Amino acid sequence: MAKGNILNKIFASGPLILLYYLSISEIDANLEKLFEVFSLNLQIIIIYFWIIKRPNLMGAGHVFVAGFINDVVMGFPLGISSLSYLIVCFVGNYVRNKSVNTTIASDWLTFLIALLFANLLFFSLLNNFSDVAISYEKIGYNTFFTLFLFPVFWFLFNLYQMSFIGSQDA
Amino acid sequence: MSVSRDDFSIAFRSALLQRGATQKFSIFSLIIVALVVFFLDVYGFTVVKTARSFINDVVYRVTYLASFPTRLFPGINQGIASHFNLKKENEELREVIERYKSLDLNLEYISNENKNLKKVLDTENVQSVSNVVLAKVLVDRNSPFLKSIIINKGSKEGIIKGMPVTQNKYLVGRIVETNYLSSRVLLLNDLNSRIPVTFDEKSTQAILTGGGTRKPTLLYLPEDYQFTEDITVFASGKDGIFNAGTPIGKTKENGEVELFVDPNQLSFVTVNLIKPSKEVF
Repeated sequence: MAKGNILNKIFASGPLILLYYLSISEIDANLEKLFEVFSLNLQIIIIYFWIIKRPNLMGAGHVFVAGFINDVVMGFPLGISSLSYLIVCFVGNYVRNKSVNTTIASDWLTFLIALLFANLLFFSLLNNFSDVAISYEKIGYNTFFTLFLFPVFWFLFNLYQMSFIGSQDA
Repeated sequence: MSVSRDDFSIAFRSALLQRGATQKFSIFSLIIVALVVFFLDVYGFTVVKTARSFINDVVYRVTYLASFPTRLFPGINQGIASHFNLKKENEELREVIERYKSLDLNLEYISNENKNLKKVLDTENVQSVSNVVLAKVLVDRNSPFLKSIIINKGSKEGIIKGMPVTQNKYLVGRIVETNYLSSRVLLLNDLNSRIPVTFDEKSTQAILTGGGTRKPTLLYLPEDYQFTEDITVFASGKDGIFNAGTPIGKTKENGEVELFVDPNQLSFVTVNLIKPSKEVF
């Protein structure tokens, strides 16, 4: 029984561990060697999905710290990734409060809003208050691929949720 | 109508302020904290700078350890492949050694000639590049927005902002952030990178501009300039940061430059401890 509890806790921490690992490690979803324009913000997909489905597994404090670590590793001004991740959390929370049943289509649509708000804040702060120049083309591609691949990760995370955590929605 | 507005404001407030059973902070409070940290960092308060430098050193080390598995698997593959190619590799290396031996004989003659020519040109005050620091690449995270690497040497070794970074004498980038035990190198293909360069027999001057893509581009060229392929591009040294004559890459017909060093394949680099003659960044 106790062993089962520990396993359940480990599985439940899976999304959070993945979020931290993606933020701190060299692993990136930027396959520019294969396809130059491809880049993906997987952290935002993870945060949004789990905030909508299982908010108790994705605490805002953890999201803040993961963003903070991401800024240090990427060389961005501190707090900027945290802000954009928290905006995603906020939109996710709002959608969860307003909706009873979610489908992949509704999640995809609302994810577009979360992604747009998060990226808008991220790049407007970076452009107005920092010396770091960013290519708008890259932002566009990043936003497009993140949005485009959301359903793929939605299915994967849903599968993980049903297999290891439980099928009940939040 | 008013019911719908109430509904909106309740959901909005709840999303911003409500804390779950296991959550210690509301999103609103964390947004405020993140904003404060952001502005303190952007406006460069000394306390935040010092704290950031310390956090950077710690996080970079953890990142290096956390990325160990991602380095291990390609390493195993390469190890197996190289084991089977040992004989062939040995023969190739012998050939390379022979070639280097013959080059070495020419080198003394060329360096003597170079010294004499410099005397003629009265340019003996060229800065020495003998003072270099070899550094290992700790983190090479391939961001879509910023092209930079983190190396394991920092201000402890005398590294300061603006110092040029090379690999096998080829220019790789420059230092843009220093911590006590680590530094960040801005690569030549980053969008923020601008290097004055010179090339071809007319010593054409241009600015090598990174675009966030693999190959940086030559800008600010003379009017109607026609590109020729395979012309070596050198740093002109006009910015007082890079050594004049440091090779960078070869030109392409479309004005891009194929770098001698692949920015995605860096393991060790050398930092030239030359104090830039003006402040950078």
